[in-house]
Amino acid sequence: MSNQIPLTWFLYFAAASFSIGLMGVLMRRNAIGVLMAIEIMLNAANINFVAFWRYGPTHSGEGPISGVMMALFVVTVAAAEVAVGVGLILLCYRRWRAADVDELDTLSG
Amino acid sequence: MIQALFIALSGFGLLMALGTVFARNLVNAALFLVAFFFVVACQFVLLEAEFMAAIQVLIYIGAVTVILMFGIMLTRNIQGDETTTVTRPWRLLGLGVFGTVLAILVLGINAHEPWTALAVRPEFPVNQDTTTERGQAILSMTPTVGREMMTRYVVAFELAGLLLTAALVGAVVLAQHEASDVVNANADIKETSEKAAAGA
Repeated sequence: MSNQIPLTWFLYFAAASFSIGLMGVLMRRNAIGVLMAIEIMLNAANINFVAFWRYGPTHSGEGPISGVMMALFVVTVAAAEVAVGVGLILLCYRRWRAADVDELDTLSG
Repeated sequence: MIQALFIALSGFGLLMALGTVFARNLVNAALFLVAFFFVVACQFVLLEAEFMAAIQVLIYIGAVTVILMFGIMLTRNIQGDETTTVTRPWRLLGLGVFGTVLAILVLGINAHEPWTALAVRPEFPVNQDTTTERGQAILSMTPTVGREMMTRYVVAFELAGLLLTAALVGAVVLAQHEASDVVNANADIKETSEKAAAGA
């Protein structure tokens, strides 16, 4: 075994994590569980950003840490999304006594 | 050696992700999620982005998981944990989507020929004056992040601050008890107690 990890290994890990997260979004009924699965998908995307930044060539004008900055902003948006998502779920639970996504069907007519 | 470490770490991480998705108990799922976040932090260390690893531990393990735990605590289902997953046909559909998406992603990764040139990561010599800009950034990640935030990414930085403020204020507004709810609840309690008194 050589002492280097190929780029594709990180990509495979991120792809598998993303697929697992997508499966979780589709298979969970509880809204909090869906939020957790979305977090898994966002983390997979972050691994891809940092891996491509570390292995890729440098271009002029992109700065020394372009991928890391992108991943940082993804973390920011994910934190805001979780805060608003949990607030919405709490509101729905208080109003309809249900935290399952298939019971919140008021708009489906 | 480091390849074996990566394989062990990734296998553990994928198992934890599967546990997050399939755990019956939502609290167990949240704990599996903590382990997965930690594995992602370890991957950032393997990618020599230690600052991202620290941010991952602080924000995801420290904040996001706690918010999710509070969400679980406050919306605990009356019917128990039996309904946290879907019925059998939907479960098969989810597994099918998992297989399809994973196959497409792996095929795409394999089909991209030029990436074989990136199999070896660029080396940045440590403790030398001849390091490139990115090598210096890796050696001193935190000051570089601060400098980049204030120069190249200042608009995105301000927008992220605006987004966080709006999201946190919005979350507080969404989750707070409405005054009318409290009044109605009090009226209900008063009514029932009056009925009970009348019955007695």
